[in-house]
Amino acid sequence: MWACLRKEWLAETRSRAGVLAAGLFSVSAVVAVWFASFGFRLPGGLAAGLLWVTLLFSAVVALPRVLLAEEENGTGDLLRQWARPHAVFWGKALFNSLQMILTAVALTVLFLVLTDLQIRHPLLLALSLAAGCTALSAGTTLCGALAAQAPNRAALSVAVSVPFLLPMVALGITAVRVAFGQGEPSGGWQGCVGLACYAVATFSGGPHLFAAVWRR
Amino acid sequence: MRNLANVLLLAAMAGATVVSYLVPPAKGFQEPDLARIIFFHLPCAFAATAFLFYGAFAAIRSLSGDRLLWDARAEAAHAMAAAMAIATMLSGILFSRVQWGAWWQNDPRQTSFLLVLLILGAYFAIRSAFQDPERRARNSAAYAVGSLLPNLFLIFVFPRLPQVSTFHPMVIGKQGGFDPIYWRTILLVFACLMATAVWAYRQRVRAILLEERLEQLDAELDSRQRHAADRVVRAVRLPEPDESPGG
Repeated sequence: MWACLRKEWLAETRSRAGVLAAGLFSVSAVVAVWFASFGFRLPGGLAAGLLWVTLLFSAVVALPRVLLAEEENGTGDLLRQWARPHAVFWGKALFNSLQMILTAVALTVLFLVLTDLQIRHPLLLALSLAAGCTALSAGTTLCGALAAQAPNRAALSVAVSVPFLLPMVALGITAVRVAFGQGEPSGGWQGCVGLACYAVATFSGGPHLFAAVWRR
Repeated sequence: MRNLANVLLLAAMAGATVVSYLVPPAKGFQEPDLARIIFFHLPCAFAATAFLFYGAFAAIRSLSGDRLLWDARAEAAHAMAAAMAIATMLSGILFSRVQWGAWWQNDPRQTSFLLVLLILGAYFAIRSAFQDPERRARNSAAYAVGSLLPNLFLIFVFPRLPQVSTFHPMVIGKQGGFDPIYWRTILLVFACLMATAVWAYRQRVRAILLEERLEQLDAELDSRQRHAADRVVRAVRLPEPDESPGG
């Protein structure tokens, strides 16, 4: 697992393709939101929705690449021979989680600066983003594996990831809107705990499903 | 015998439809007469949920062995779930228009069912992306099993979260406010609808298995013809030395 994580890290530091794609997409989306909300202050619920939609699309654009690239470069078979499917899944999902958390931190800071929003519950915001990004990463890694061997893999991975991840986004919005000052704190913490449970379920169930599809 | 069962099924479904019109109009709705949509809307939603979870069960069986048979069952169950979910959405949209005044109310239950429909769409997108039956079965089964958690959340948890307010009456549990005669009619229509849906599901499974058999036979025939063509020796006239272009 650590070897797989290290391999992804080295490949990313060489090419920076994933971080660049996610970063560019996220910055463009936040700037678009800023243009759309120019001249008025976003309410907490709407701001939370926009932030999570941006996170969702930056995840589905950038994260499945770690598996799609293996098939495109023809290195998938070598990986199948050298590593157990569970180790591959956890390595790639952990790498995706790290990348997604970095993207989320940068994106949220930019979002807060441009929209001038007040954070009422910083801890809730941080924990829900961390749990949400972990859940999104595991889900996207699984969807990437499902689409990796299809002829139209890039489009298919986005098409199957979005409906799969939308329930997580709903929970994330529930938590973040409270962090932005809309709604009761108990509801926000409920959403945050839901996200954490989702992340645990996806990380523990994902490797078994991954093992079923990660073969020739 | 089978024809008699089909005729009985048709008669039962027609009888249930007639009964749904004989029940007195529901009080407390904007349009009491049109509240009868519930008699078809709720059973369709229950049937969609039942087929969705049976589809996930069939997908688990498909991953653990006897792949092609259980894959056919999973596909047919998902197709029935999609048909029932579409019927639920259409009847719900109609109900929303006549009772609440708008085609779409941003109701959490409406939205969550739409998301379930999108997940079903993604399942069929995966199926259509793979030509190889083995890989198609494996990948679509993994997606069906993986989407069990989102589906459970969308159907049973999300509409009941205290943070979301819904127009939908809570018809199951303590707050269930239907008259007993309404519940009896709903259960009667549900029983007839399920019987019809199970019949359609079995026909679909048979059709999928026959299609697969036909494809196998086609492939075998193609392979035999190719081998036969390899063995044919055709007489070819060789050019005489003085007829050749160089000579």
